[in-house]
Amino acid sequence: MFKVTTEPLSIDEAYAAVRRDDCGAVALFVGTVRDHHDGKKVTQISYSAFQEMAVKEFAAIATEAIARWKVGAVYIAHRTGPLKIGDASVVIAVSSAHRAEAFEGCRYAIETLKKMAPIWKEEFYETGKAWISG
Amino acid sequence: MKVVVQLFGPLAEQAGRPRLEVTVAGSTVRDVVEATGLQVDKSVRYARNTDYVDLDAGLQEGDVVSLIPPVGGG
Repeated sequence: MFKVTTEPLSIDEAYAAVRRDDCGAVALFVGTVRDHHDGKKVTQISYSAFQEMAVKEFAAIATEAIARWKVGAVYIAHRTGPLKIGDASVVIAVSSAHRAEAFEGCRYAIETLKKMAPIWKEEFYETGKAWISG
Repeated sequence: MKVVVQLFGPLAEQAGRPRLEVTVAGSTVRDVVEATGLQVDKSVRYARNTDYVDLDAGLQEGDVVSLIPPVGGG
């Protein structure tokens, strides 16, 4: 349910991991590599992570989402290594009995991941590169 | 005691390596950070093993300290 991997992410896997008979909603968030940043053309992105701690943070996010919104299940996967434009960098899926909780839980998960998960993004431009946070 | 320090992202780049070892007389995260000699500003957070802690957190033999510069996942 929680992983940091250099392999391509699977939306099917995320959906299958959280779909349950007692849940009538699955919210899915996919973060993808964008081709521009602050007016500059992005050619490639590389993510690195403190893998063991990131996975632990994902589990903590899920525990909190389940406690707060009574969601059914939470799946969080983040990719590391060099990614191309359009590649999925993060996939989150949240199931719940009704749609409001799935949306809320999914929003909470991505916002908290961005603040807390020990993952770093390096953007490469036609000339130069930069570490991007936030 | 000897403490392993992990560096990530821009801090690893700045130090030219992802891991170093320091020997400290004290036993807090602050003692370890000072012993690295790295320029660390207020945006950096710290982990003892896999938990965020503050600079005053105590360490035991075998603990790993990680310097966590501003994160950018997502």
